[in-house]
Amino acid sequence: MLRGFGDLEAQIMERLWAAPEPVTVRQLVDDLQQGRAIAYTTVLTVTDILYRKEWLTRQRQGRAYAYRPVCTREQYAAGLMREALATSTDHTAALLHFVTEMPAEEAAALRDALAELDAGPDDRPEP
Amino acid sequence: MRVAAVLVAYALAGAFVAPWLLARASWPQRAPRLAIAVWLASAASVVLALGLAGVALAVPTVPVSSGLSQWLQACAMAIRAAYATPGGIILGATGTAFALFVTARTAVALSGSWARATWARRAHRRAVVLAGRPRHDIDALIVDCDTAAAYCVPGRHRQVVLTTAALAALSDAELAAVLAHERAHLRGRHHHLVGVASGLARAFPGIPLFQAAKEQVAALVEMVADDVAAGAHHRATIATAVVALAGMHAPQAALGASGSAALTRVRRLVAPAAPLHRAALLAGVLAVVGIVALPVSVAAAPALHAMHMNLCPVHPGITPPVSSA
Repeated sequence: MLRGFGDLEAQIMERLWAAPEPVTVRQLVDDLQQGRAIAYTTVLTVTDILYRKEWLTRQRQGRAYAYRPVCTREQYAAGLMREALATSTDHTAALLHFVTEMPAEEAAALRDALAELDAGPDDRPEP
Repeated sequence: MRVAAVLVAYALAGAFVAPWLLARASWPQRAPRLAIAVWLASAASVVLALGLAGVALAVPTVPVSSGLSQWLQACAMAIRAAYATPGGIILGATGTAFALFVTARTAVALSGSWARATWARRAHRRAVVLAGRPRHDIDALIVDCDTAAAYCVPGRHRQVVLTTAALAALSDAELAAVLAHERAHLRGRHHHLVGVASGLARAFPGIPLFQAAKEQVAALVEMVADDVAAGAHHRATIATAVVALAGMHAPQAALGASGSAALTRVRRLVAPAAPLHRAALLAGVLAVVGIVALPVSVAAAPALHAMHMNLCPVHPGITPPVSSA
């Protein structure tokens, strides 16, 4: 099941998704330190957590590892939306959908109901 | 004993007959806010009646301390006698246990569902901030996805989310109506209403009233949000937006009450019935108060009656002795 990332996890994923090729922890630290002071070991630990959770793959690059996301941002988004649209989870109560999923017959019945409107007086404004 | 029996009978009627009656009524569509109040008040009333039935059974067995003043002791004994049961201590213990069970079950389920939903929202918001990109002109997050979805994530860092497929399916006017609808949810704190109803359904599974209240409240908040959106947008635009987004979904989606609820919504947007008359609304509000007050007054009646006998210090004209103990 898809879970949200922690703050630093999210920042790391963000940078790895944006990067055209695998990135080392040193490069990540240099990039992150432009925004705030952060220790090398902190970034190393969190990157390792992401690797163990199988969000990242890595390959040796000299003496260090270079990391790359397992899935693209688009795949991540698709999984997230699948979860958001699932009707059987706690998300049903957690999120308020404009309209939830329905079978094709129901959707057809909706279009029919709308056709009744088109047949009637058009687009009247609110009283 | 009689009080407990009356309360249990009331709770059973509320749990099994009330949802059947309410679900068949047509006025909720004309006054969705009132209908939400009636559903939640009915649910609260049944829980209250069950809890108070237990208390009423327990009252006669409450030990009256001899340390109490004469006045208070006489009063307490009169109240005890008013609830007298033939079952004695066993029935009393059962009543206590039952009252505690109902209270604990309700509290645990409500706090649990609140915590789970809050957690799920926080996790989802974090994920969606990462997966999507903000569109500041409409104050929403856009997620690349070929399934149409438009929803809001309530909470402290509230967020409206739209997929690219939803954006593509909506005209500008429809998009504005959808955003107004979602913001009405957020501003109205509708997630609390839905949360209480679904928490109670979780606390007492299989009882028709709580199951129906959960489904109906979820459907009714959509109507309320539609009505708010209709203040600034054409009803027809909201209706076409519902159809545009509903039609986008995968056809093999799980069957739920949502489909027919959406149909009711569209019909209601297309051909709105007149809102409930002022007098009917007022009667409804009084009914809501009555629904909650009824079990309390049934439970308290014998005690009040006992207090009106001269035994209790609350009787008008008698001042209780200050320090006789």
